[in-house]
Amino acid sequence: MAKHPVSLKVNGDEYDLLVEPRKTLLAVLRDTIGLTGTKEGCSTGDCGACTVIVDGKAVTSCMVLGVTASEKQITTIEGLASDGELHPVQQAFINTGGYQCGFCTPGFIMASKALLDENPDRTEEEFRHALGGNICRCTGYTKILEAILNAAEEVRTSA
Amino acid sequence: MSEYTVVGQKVARVDAVEKVTGAAQYGADVHPPGMLYGKIVRSQHPHANILSIDTSEAEKLPGVRAIITQDDVPSGRRVFATDKVLYLGEPLAAVAATDPDIAEEAAELVKIEYEVLPVVQDVMEAIQSSAPRLHGDATKDGPNRREISTQIRKLSRDKENDHSDEISKLEAALEEYPDEVYYNISAESHSEAGDVEKGFAESDVVVEDTYVIPRVHQTYMEPHVSVASADSSGKITVWASTQGPFAIRSGIAGTLGIPLTQINVIGTTMGGGFGGRFGVIITHVPAVLLSQKTGRPVRVQMTREEEFIDGRPAPGCVIKIKTGATKDGHLMAREALAFWDSGSVSGASIGSTIRVRGVYKIPNLKVDAYGVHTNKSGTAAYRAPGAPQAIFAGESQLDEIAERIGMDPVKFRLMNMREEGDLVPAGAAEPKVGYKETLEAVADASGWWDREAGENQGWGVAVGDWTNGCGPGGVYVSVHEDGSVRIFHGSMDITGTDTAISQIIAEILTVPYESVTIRRGDTDSAPYSTGSGGSVVTFTMGNTAKLAAEDAHRRILELASERLNTNVDNLELKDGGVHIVSADPPKSISLGELAAYSLSTTGGPIVGKGSFARQPSTPALAAQIAKVEVDPDTGRTRVLKLVASQDVGYAINPMAVEGQIEGGTVQGYAWAMMEEMQYGENGNINPGFVDYRVPTSADLPTVESVIVEVPAPNGPYGAKGVGEPPITPTLATMANAVKDAIGVRINELPIKPEKVVEALKSNGH
Repeated sequence: MAKHPVSLKVNGDEYDLLVEPRKTLLAVLRDTIGLTGTKEGCSTGDCGACTVIVDGKAVTSCMVLGVTASEKQITTIEGLASDGELHPVQQAFINTGGYQCGFCTPGFIMASKALLDENPDRTEEEFRHALGGNICRCTGYTKILEAILNAAEEVRTSA
Repeated sequence: MSEYTVVGQKVARVDAVEKVTGAAQYGADVHPPGMLYGKIVRSQHPHANILSIDTSEAEKLPGVRAIITQDDVPSGRRVFATDKVLYLGEPLAAVAATDPDIAEEAAELVKIEYEVLPVVQDVMEAIQSSAPRLHGDATKDGPNRREISTQIRKLSRDKENDHSDEISKLEAALEEYPDEVYYNISAESHSEAGDVEKGFAESDVVVEDTYVIPRVHQTYMEPHVSVASADSSGKITVWASTQGPFAIRSGIAGTLGIPLTQINVIGTTMGGGFGGRFGVIITHVPAVLLSQKTGRPVRVQMTREEEFIDGRPAPGCVIKIKTGATKDGHLMAREALAFWDSGSVSGASIGSTIRVRGVYKIPNLKVDAYGVHTNKSGTAAYRAPGAPQAIFAGESQLDEIAERIGMDPVKFRLMNMREEGDLVPAGAAEPKVGYKETLEAVADASGWWDREAGENQGWGVAVGDWTNGCGPGGVYVSVHEDGSVRIFHGSMDITGTDTAISQIIAEILTVPYESVTIRRGDTDSAPYSTGSGGSVVTFTMGNTAKLAAEDAHRRILELASERLNTNVDNLELKDGGVHIVSADPPKSISLGELAAYSLSTTGGPIVGKGSFARQPSTPALAAQIAKVEVDPDTGRTRVLKLVASQDVGYAINPMAVEGQIEGGTVQGYAWAMMEEMQYGENGNINPGFVDYRVPTSADLPTVESVIVEVPAPNGPYGAKGVGEPPITPTLATMANAVKDAIGVRINELPIKPEKVVEALKSNGH
């Protein structure tokens, strides 16, 4: 299959790639660039494990074709910590035990970060609904909610 | 429990940073150079004869490196179907290609000719003589015929007397039960204690119902995956997402007829398992075969759809159950007859039907269980395998009895619960378990005693019991010259167990938790370890870790005795150093100094070894209370409150324990209210998250967990396995709450809105 030139901007780095039009952004991130922190849980956009941030919005990268992500700013789980400092959302997931097997965790953290960037002033009920696109099978969500509420508090007070 | 400084604390998990930064390596993250992508070719029909398999078109596709069928399995052990398929999605061949999309294209180009056969998906149809047969007749007698046949056999054995009259009468009696010849039976299990007929005769109230529990999928978030690499010497390396690397090693060896020494299994970080990640054939064996054929590493990774059609989910079940009690609330007898949907092979957890006995003093008990073949994939364990199904029937019916005799459901349970020394029906004497403490704890925490329910609201309670397993394990501990402690072992971390092992060793060696590191070896390097299932890990590996740390502790005191010139009896290890007891001025030496000193001693470095296999474990109880509100127009049930208590023995890491309780309870909630693998004439019809809904954070509120600690005599620090119990009562908790809210019982799970509306209609709403 013919490949198309694509320029991806991922976590501040530029990648000039040749990509088949059928490859998803998820496949390009994982198989071509080798950033495997973003996970494949369903390939149908239903579980949220592959969530990354594209131009400030959380998207399921299995539902985006790689060729359409050219020139956009992409942040993956690997790009969240800076200078060895974990992002407040990452730290909150650790502190509350908001993960178990950890497979859904990158997706949850990226979805949470996008929500907090957009508006950290949400109630628990609002966060519950806003995170409804991400599936976790281990935690029962109790400690994930605790994590995002703690992170929201942290973001609000440091703002 | 303030006597401990590291165990009993909510420390962050050892894998915290790698899991929140995306650094943890799961199975599909392994990518050796030159790796090919495998794809399984699957049956398009749930029951068919295979007339031909033609791979010629697929082989022509550029990028395809190999296509294998059963002909390529040198051992002859069944990996792929050849003449007949028994379920939709059954593997027929496998492809390896340079790109995953090419592999998928090639799999679609493999031409299969089928002769379609009639299909049976329902267990109650499958046992009929009219049903299509999966493995020949495979008949077994039902309970009455079985009893009569046993008598006939007994009489026939007595050669000294003539029983021909009696025998012919009994043979005639057999004819009264023509429907009790069950077909398509994969397995059976029977238990009996006391005399149920007598028990029912002595009861004032007898209730009989049938409960139907659907097949559900474990739905671990990481689909099955395996990367295999066979080198030119024949050595095979397998990166496997599995709960049991040693079981996978022996499984591959047995299936392919390869010696154990030729196989190294590396357990990758596991994206959930819940019992469903022990399978050998699903991806590991095809990956090995493809790698052997191509000489290159091959990854076989299932899609979510493949998980639903060819995973090994939890069996569905139909349970007919009958319970008798006196009007003052004493349980007298219980009888159950269960049909478990084991799919195309045997293996459903039919023995768990005995869990209908619950934790109650029931003097008379009879349990008959059958595994039934249907045109579905085989099943596997799912968190306390078989218990949620059996306990759903038992605990639902208990509420029906409580209602008829007018007793509070919690009081009714408390009154009948076994105590230490009571005989478990068809079992041994009960050890000390916090049955009553756990139920009382959830009743108190939930506000049960002064509960209020508005219109369309209801409360439900249920309890579920389970006992953790136990198995072999080995742990090494070494102390290094900077005072740090290193742990080496071979058991898979199942969401927190590496942390528990680290906490135990830090506690015994009196070092900060942060100075301990833990490393898992592969099957080539690590001591044998049991699989991480059956809630075994904290019990087994915790005990093993304790032994290893105690061994290191002995060596540390021995070294200190040499170094400080005093008898071992005068020495104490505390705060990361060895101190001479009551020395004035104080005299001590740090672990780091001792470790450095050890390097030039005759006895050598500080290495502790722990090895362990068996100790009796103690049952655990989970008790839950839910408050729900049902919308009578839409039938939708909203959970207002869900409180879960559990006797965990001792919580080595309360944060991890709470996580297990919360997660297990929500899985139970989902089984009760949402999840169901659905089958049509052409097999599974809901192989994806849109049609097979699992809960999200929007579906239910915070689960409140309550930890109860009644120490287990043989557990490390009294700990019991905590992973499985919390799923066991939730199905009944939810059903009992819905019944309380709407006044009608729904016996068939899941309790979907349409069933609620239907039930209300039939009740005159």
